[in-house]
Amino acid sequence: MRLYIANNAPNSVLAVANLEAICREHLKDHFKLEIIDVLETPLRALSDGVLVTPSLTKLSPSPVAKIVGNLSDKSSVLHALGIKESVE
Amino acid sequence: MKSDLRAIGGNPPRPKPGPGFPARILRLVKSAPERQAIASGQVDAVIDPRDGRVFLLPDVQQALNEDQARVRSLLALSSDWFWEQDEFYRFVSHTGAASGSSGIYDESIIGRTLRDPPFDSMSEADWQAHRKLLEWRATFRDLELRCSDRAGKTRWVSISGEPTFDAQDQFKGYRGTMRDITLRKHSEARAQVSRDKVIGRAGGEQRVGQVPGGGAARGVFSRKNSAERKHQERLLGLGRKVAKEGSIANGLLAALPRKDYRRLLAGLEPVTLTYGEVLFEPGEPIRHVYFPNDSLVSLLTTVEGHHALEVGLVGREGLVGISLALGIDVSSVRALVQGTGTAMRMNAARFRKEFRKNLPLQGELYRYAHAKLAQARQTAACNRFHVVEARLARWLLMTRDRVRSDEFLLTQAFLADMLGVRRVGVTKAAGDLQQRKLISYSRGKIRILDRKGLEATSCGCYEIIENL
Repeated sequence: MRLYIANNAPNSVLAVANLEAICREHLKDHFKLEIIDVLETPLRALSDGVLVTPSLTKLSPSPVAKIVGNLSDKSSVLHALGIKESVE
Repeated sequence: MKSDLRAIGGNPPRPKPGPGFPARILRLVKSAPERQAIASGQVDAVIDPRDGRVFLLPDVQQALNEDQARVRSLLALSSDWFWEQDEFYRFVSHTGAASGSSGIYDESIIGRTLRDPPFDSMSEADWQAHRKLLEWRATFRDLELRCSDRAGKTRWVSISGEPTFDAQDQFKGYRGTMRDITLRKHSEARAQVSRDKVIGRAGGEQRVGQVPGGGAARGVFSRKNSAERKHQERLLGLGRKVAKEGSIANGLLAALPRKDYRRLLAGLEPVTLTYGEVLFEPGEPIRHVYFPNDSLVSLLTTVEGHHALEVGLVGREGLVGISLALGIDVSSVRALVQGTGTAMRMNAARFRKEFRKNLPLQGELYRYAHAKLAQARQTAACNRFHVVEARLARWLLMTRDRVRSDEFLLTQAFLADMLGVRRVGVTKAAGDLQQRKLISYSRGKIRILDRKGLEATSCGCYEIIENL
C-alpha cells in the first residue's frame, strides 16, 4: 500500500492515524506500507496517478484500489482493501 | 518532533493561496471521488498534473504555518542551542535564540570541532576518548566544556548529542543541544570554596574564581579517570585501538542489524573498566551487563578453602552478565576485570526490557550463552586433565585473542588463580615457556613472542574453545 500525504496537514495526519489503526486491527503484520510526502516528492505521486492528498493506493493483491480522503470511513476503507469486516 | 522540524519542501515552489483558489483546484481534479473528497473537506493538497506543483488548501496552508510558528517559538523560548555536526564531527549548523545573545556560539564555530577554539578545555586524551565514543555512534550527555565568548571571557557549556543516519543507514553526523552553564559552574566553585573553608582546607586545591572539573563529561571521562587509565595502559602495555570509522568494537553489538543496534544504543553507556575491578560477586544481583570493547573480564568461581578458579573469559566477542538473558538476575561467578579498557554498559532493568523486544539480540545472546557453556565444560575438563604448561599456553592465547595484543599485565598469583594451581606451578610453567622463547615475562608483564609455538604447546582445548 502507498499512502500519499502532505506533511503535517490535518487530513494527512488523520489519514495516517486511521490507517495505522485499521492495519493494527485487521492486518496485524501482513502488510507493507509506504508513506509518501508529496511536498517532498510531488512527481512520484503524479507518476502513480495521484492528484490529491491524502490518498491511499493498494497495489497488491490485485485489483489495484484507490481511496481518497482522510480514511475516517472505516468500512469503505476495508471494502476498498478487500478486507471482510468481522462480525462484532 | 522529527516531523515537526522537517522542512516543508519547496520543490517545486507553491503559489500563495489567492482569491478563486478553490475553483482553480477543482478544475484540476476530474474524477468524482476526488471532487467529492474535496467537497467534504477531506483533502489537504492537490497536485497540478501539468507541472507537479502542489497546491495546499488555504486552511491547510494556515495550519502548517501555525505549526512552523509553534516550533520556531519553542526554539526561541528554549535556553538551549541546537547544533548539527557532519561525519567528521565539525559543526555545520546551529540555531536557537540564545546563540545571538551570549556571544559564545557564533558563525566562527562552523567547520570547527569541540577540540578547536573557542572550546579550550579538552586535552588530547579527552578528545581521543570523546572521538572513540563518537566512533561507536554513542549518544553523549552533559559533556561540560570551557570556551571563551566574543569578549574573551571564560564561559562553560554543557553539550549533549546523538548520531544521525540517512535513509540508507549511513552515518551522517551528530546533532544535539548545548546549554550555557557558566552561572552554575561559578556557583559550584563558590560552594566548593566555602566547603573547603568549613573543613579548614581554605586555599587548598580550589581557589575563588577557579572553576572545577576541567572539560570532563559526567560518567564518560574525567581527567582523573583518563590519567588513571593511561597509567594502567602503560602498565599493561595495551595499545588502545581506536575502532574503525563506523565500526562497532563489541562483536555481539556489531552482529546486530543496524536498526536494532541503534535502538539499544540509547540505553548503553560507555564506561572504563579498570584492571582488578570486580563487576560482581557470586550471589550478588547483576546490576549492569557489560559489552567489552577492548577490556577483558575473567569469570571466576570460588570453592571454599581454595583460591578462585577461572571458568570463562569475556572480551570484545561477548557480554558479561549473560545469565540475565537466561532469566537469572543473580551472578553465579565473580566477574573480575583482567585488562583495562572500555565497555558499553546497560542497567539490568533496561537490558531485560530490550532483550524481550529485540529478536536479533536474543538470537546472538542465546548463541553466545551456548558457546560460554561449552567453553566452561571444556575448561573444566582441561583443568582436570592437561598439564599446567599447556593450560598456561591456552590461557595466554585466549587472552591475546580477546585484547588483540601480544602484551599484557599478569602477576603470577593472578595466573595461579586463573589456572587453579599453586604459584610455584605457574613460575615453573612460565619459566619453561620463556626458556623456549615462546614468551617473555618480566615484572608482571607478559609478551607473546611466538604465537605459533605457543599454539603448538597449548592443549587442543584452545582450538576447541575458539571454534565454538
